[in-house]
Amino acid sequence: MRAQRMQRTLPSLVLRLLFLCTVATGKCSGKYHELLLQLQRQADLMQDTSTLVDPYIRFQGLESPKLQEHCREHPGDFPSEDALWRLSRQDFLRTLNVTLGLVLRMLGALQQDLPEAAQQQAEMNVRGFGNNIHCMAQLLRGSSDPEAAEPTQPGPGPTLPPLLPPMPSSTFQRKLRNCRFLRGYHRFMRAARQVLWGWGERQGRSRRHSPHRALQRGARRTRPFLEVRRLSPRGQLPR
Amino acid sequence: FGTILSEPLPLTPESLKVSINSTKQCLHLQWTVHNLDYHQELKMVFQIQISRLKASNVIWMGNYSTTVKRNQVLHWSWESELPLECAIHFVRMRTMVDDARIPAPRFWSNWSSWEKADAQNSLGDHPLYVFPKDKLVEEGSDVTICYISRNHQDNISCYLEDELTYGKQLDQNVWAFELKNVSFHRKTGTNFYCKGQGVPEGVVLFVSKVLEEPKDFSCETRDLKTVTCTWDPGSDTGLIQLPSYTLFDSFSGKKTLCKHRNRCDWQVTQDSQEVYNFTLVAENYFRKRSVSILFNLIHGVHPLAPYNLFPKSVSATNVTMTWKVSSIGHNSALLCQLQLLGEGKQHNISVRVNGEYLLSELKPDTEYMARVRCAYADHFWKWSELISQNFTTAEAAPSEAPDVWRDVTFVSGHPTVTLFWKPLSKVHTNGKILFYNVVVENLDEPSSLEVLSVPAPANSTKVTLNQSSYQIYVTAHNSVGPSPASAVAISGHPENENVEEGRVNGTEDGFHMSWKPQSRNATGYVVEWCDDPQNLPCVLRWKNLGPTNTGTVISSDAFRPGVRYNFRIYEISAKRMAHLLEKKAGYLKELAPSYNPEVATINLTSHSFTLSWKDYSTESQTGFIQGYYVYLKSKTGEKCHREFEKTILPDNSVGCKYTIDNPDQKTFVVKDLQPESVYEFFVTPYTSAGEGPLDDFTKVTTPDDYSHILIHIILPMIFCVLVVMITCYLKSQWLKDKCYPDIPDPYKSSVLSLIKFKENPRITIMNVNDCVPDAIEVVNKPEGSKIQFTGTRKSPTETKGTKPVYLDLLPTENYSGPGPCICFENFTYNQAASDLGYCGHFPVTPQAPHCQLGPLTSPENLLKTLEQNYMNSLGEIPAGEANLNYVSQLASPTSGDKESPPANPPEPVLCSEYKMQMAIPLGLASPAPSENSSLSSTALLNPSEHCH
Repeated sequence: MRAQRMQRTLPSLVLRLLFLCTVATGKCSGKYHELLLQLQRQADLMQDTSTLVDPYIRFQGLESPKLQEHCREHPGDFPSEDALWRLSRQDFLRTLNVTLGLVLRMLGALQQDLPEAAQQQAEMNVRGFGNNIHCMAQLLRGSSDPEAAEPTQPGPGPTLPPLLPPMPSSTFQRKLRNCRFLRGYHRFMRAARQVLWGWGERQGRSRRHSPHRALQRGARRTRPFLEVRRLSPRGQLPR
Repeated sequence: FGTILSEPLPLTPESLKVSINSTKQCLHLQWTVHNLDYHQELKMVFQIQISRLKASNVIWMGNYSTTVKRNQVLHWSWESELPLECAIHFVRMRTMVDDARIPAPRFWSNWSSWEKADAQNSLGDHPLYVFPKDKLVEEGSDVTICYISRNHQDNISCYLEDELTYGKQLDQNVWAFELKNVSFHRKTGTNFYCKGQGVPEGVVLFVSKVLEEPKDFSCETRDLKTVTCTWDPGSDTGLIQLPSYTLFDSFSGKKTLCKHRNRCDWQVTQDSQEVYNFTLVAENYFRKRSVSILFNLIHGVHPLAPYNLFPKSVSATNVTMTWKVSSIGHNSALLCQLQLLGEGKQHNISVRVNGEYLLSELKPDTEYMARVRCAYADHFWKWSELISQNFTTAEAAPSEAPDVWRDVTFVSGHPTVTLFWKPLSKVHTNGKILFYNVVVENLDEPSSLEVLSVPAPANSTKVTLNQSSYQIYVTAHNSVGPSPASAVAISGHPENENVEEGRVNGTEDGFHMSWKPQSRNATGYVVEWCDDPQNLPCVLRWKNLGPTNTGTVISSDAFRPGVRYNFRIYEISAKRMAHLLEKKAGYLKELAPSYNPEVATINLTSHSFTLSWKDYSTESQTGFIQGYYVYLKSKTGEKCHREFEKTILPDNSVGCKYTIDNPDQKTFVVKDLQPESVYEFFVTPYTSAGEGPLDDFTKVTTPDDYSHILIHIILPMIFCVLVVMITCYLKSQWLKDKCYPDIPDPYKSSVLSLIKFKENPRITIMNVNDCVPDAIEVVNKPEGSKIQFTGTRKSPTETKGTKPVYLDLLPTENYSGPGPCICFENFTYNQAASDLGYCGHFPVTPQAPHCQLGPLTSPENLLKTLEQNYMNSLGEIPAGEANLNYVSQLASPTSGDKESPPANPPEPVLCSEYKMQMAIPLGLASPAPSENSSLSSTALLNPSEHCH
C-alpha cells in the first residue's frame, strides 16, 4: 500500500516541482514538446482516480457497492471526449481552463469533505495544469499556424461546462453528487489526456514526414489530423 | 399587583398554531390568551396534548407554566423522537390560572381544538424520502429514522453503514427504524440509506463523541500583562464543528471566547486586579462542561526564558557567562540558575536585566554546556525554559606522563627497543596531543643524547641501541607544552629468559595472577601480554602495578575463549630496569581441541604398528593439551586389547580407547594385533574442556607373518641374483675366457706342421693320456729382462727378433717382493686340481726338498709331486732372485701385454693368466725356419720331463 502510494505521490511531486519552477520563474517554457509532454503527464496523473475520488469515497463512507453504483459521472458536468476532439487547439485549451477553474472551486467547497492531503494535492495539480494550459495557449497564439485555430474535428466553438452543479440540501445526496462530480472530473481528464496524446502522435508522424492522415483513435474521429508541418511554420513549434 | 382578584377568569388559549421545524425536529406551538385585563399579568399553566397519526392517539401530555400578559403570543416547542415528516401530529391545549392572587378553586379551561401538523404535504413527489435529515446526535444515544415511500410496489431495504436494518411500519407508506446506542464512525457522519428501484435516499447522522470535562486547568502569566490559561480538552468529539471554550472571571464579570481548544489568553487590565476566579466552560450541541480555579497573578509568574547566553573570557580553567532576561513589571528581580552540565554544580544569581557569573576550576580543553533558567524572585512559581550555550576551555600542557613500556629484541647482539605508550586519557591530555618526544640517554656516555619526535597518534617507535645501558624518556606534547616524562631503562644485554612458565586460569573477570617479589627494592611490576596472540605482529598490552602489588587481574575485551595468552611479569627496579619475574600462560576458557593431529603409521608388522603425530603442536591449541585418546576398532569386533578400554564412540559405534595422559608423548605402539587383520584407529587430543572433533578412522591392515621375510630376505636375494645374472650375462664372454677358456684343438696346432716336417707317421699328436706331467716348466726371468708371453694374438712384429726362451729354475737373488706365484691349475692333467678353483701364490721356501719325480698314481700324488718338484726347483733358486710363476695353460696372453716395468715386482694375483701348457718359443707362433724347427712338443719339454 505504501509502495503504491509512493508510486502515486512521486510523479505528482515531480510534476509539482516542475510547475513550481515555471510559476516561480514567471516564464512559460517556450519549448512546445516540453510543454506538451508536461501536459500529457499531468493529465495522466490527474485522470487517476486514486488522486481524488477514491480518497473521497473512503472519507465519506461510500465504499459500499450499492452506493458505488450511484457514484457515476453526472451527464453534463463535463464536456465529453467527442466534444473535446471537435475543438480547435485554442478552444480545447480554453475549455480545459474553464472546466478546471470549476473543479478548483469545487475543491475549495470540498475542503472539509476530503482528506486534507488529497484535497491539497488535487488543488495543486489543477493549478499547475492550468498554468501549463496558459503557457500552451500563449505558445499557440504566438504561432501563426492556422491549425491552432482550427478544430481537430468539425464542430462548434469552445465547449464550456455548466456552472457548479446545484447541490442537494441533504448531506447524503450531496455526498453522492460530489462523488459523481469527481468521477466526472477524472473522466474528463482522461479525455483531455487522449487529446493531448493525440497532439503528440501527430507530432511523431510529422517528424517521419508521413503523408498519411493522423492516427485515428477510434471510429469517432472521422476527420484526419492536420499535418504538423502546417501547424508550426515558425518559432518553437516543430517543423 | 398586590390586589387579590375576586373571581376566576375563563381564560382559554386561542389562535393555536402548530408548525414544524425539520432541522430540530420540533413542533412549534404558538398561541395567545385573550381576556386578560390590560397590564394584568397572570401566572398560568398550559396543559398540552400531542397525538400522532390520529387525534385519539395521544403520545405525550405535559404542562407548561408561565406568566402571561394580555395579548402576549406564547411559544412552546416539543421535540419529537420520530421525524415529524413521517407522521401527522395533532396538538391541543387547555389552561388554568395558577396565580396566588387568584383564590381557589382553580379549574382548567376547555381544550382547544386539535391542531394538525402534517409535514408530508410539503414533500414533493420524490418516490422515497428518509428522515430526519442531517441529524446531530451524541454517541450512545438512540435515534429513530423513518422513510416515506410513494411507490407501494417498491421493495425498499435500508442500511446503516451497509448493514441491513429492520424497522416497523407506521403507516401504509411509512417505516420507522430505531437505532439504539449509535456509535461514531467518522467525522463526515454515519450513513443511513434506503434503496428501492431508483437512486438510494438516505440521511447522515453526525455522531458526536461525548464532550469531556477539561482537565489540568491552570493559569499563569509571563509578564504580568497577559494571563494564559491552559487545559487538556480530552479526546476530540469527532465532529467538524468543534466545541466552544469560554473563559469567565466571576470577579470582574468578564469573559472571553477562547481561540484554541486547549489554551486561552486573558488580558490583565490596569485596575491592578491580582486575584481572578476563572471558570472555563466547554460547550457543544449536547453538553456544557466547566471547571474553575482561583488565580493570583503574582503567584503565577512564569518568566520568559533568558536570552543571549554567551561565554566571556574563556581560559583553561575559567569562564565568565553572561545573559539577559526579559524584564517583568514592577521592577521585579528574577532568580536565575546557572548550571554547568556534567559538573553537577549550579549557581543561583539574582538578576534584574543582565546576568553574569564566573565559572572557575574548569578542566582545560573541555567542552562544557552552560544552561540558565530564571524564576520570579518574589514568589517562586515556575522556572522559565532553559537556554544553553556550549563553550570549550583553552588548552593546557598534558598533566600526566604517558604510560610507556618496551619490547627488547637483540639483533646481532644489539638491542632493538620498541617503545609503546598508551594515549593519555582526555582528562590528562588537556588539549590535542601533537607529537611524542623520545629522548634516549646513554648512561655509559652521559653526554650522548638522542631525541626522536614521533607525530601523534602513533603509539610506538623503534630504537636501535648499542650494548650500553640506556635511559629512555617519553613525553607527550600538545600546543601548550610537554607532559611529565616517563622513563624506561634498557640494559645492553639480553634478559634472563630462563624462567619456568606457569599456568594461570582465566575467569569471567579475566586472569587472576600473582607473583612472588624477588627484590625488596622493586618500584613496581608490569604484566605484559598480547591481546591477539594468534595474529602477528603482537599487539602488546601491559599493566603497570605498584610495588606493593603481588597480584592483579588482567582483563581485556580482546580476550577470547580458546586462545592461549602468554603473560610475562616484570619487576621494575629503582633504576627503571625491568627484570623478567615470571611467565604464565592461560586460557580465558579452555575449549576442546579444534582439530586432530595428522597421524602417520610406521613400523607396521603383523602384530603391531606405531602411530606418530610428532608434528602436532600442543602450544597453539584451544586449551592445555592434557593427553591423547587413541581409539581403535577392529573389523572382527573382538575384545579390546590390553590397556584399551571399551567405549562408545560419538557415532554410537563401539570401539576401544587408550588414554595417553602425557601431552608430550606423540607416538603410540599398538601391539598384540592379529596378522592379516584390518584395524581402524583415530587419535584425538583432549583438554579440560573435552576431546577433539570426531574425524574419520584410518584403516590399517596388518601383514601376514612371512611377509617380513619376503621383504627383508627374499627380495634382496632376488635382487642380488638378478644383478649377478645380469652381470654374468653381460660378462659371459669374459668369464668364459677366464674360467672356461676354449681348449686348443691340438689338431689345429702349428706343432702339427713340425711333426709333419719330421715325417713321423706314428707320432701325430701328443696324447694327453700319454703325458705324465713330471716337471714344472719354470720360466727364468732374468733381472732386467722382460718376459714376453706369446699368444695367438701377439702380432708378428712384437715377437720379431725374440729368441726361444727356455725356462730355467734359477734362484733369484735380491728379491724383496712377494714370493713367486705358483699355480697348480692344470685341468688338463688333474681334475682335482682344477676343483680348487683358484690359483695360489705360495711363498718360496728355500729349504724345500728338491723335486723328486715319481710315478703319479693318483691326483694327490700328482699334486704332491708337483709341489715337491716345484719346491725343489725353488730351492735351487736363490730367494729374491727368481720370480717363479706357474705358467698355466689358461694364462691369458693379455697379461703379458701389460707393459709393466720389470723393476716392479708383479703384484700377487689370485688367478694367473693363461699360459700355454708347453713353453713354446715365441717365434713358433708363426712357423719360421730355424735349426730347432723340427721340434715336437716332446722335444719342447724340459729334458728332465717325460711323456708317458
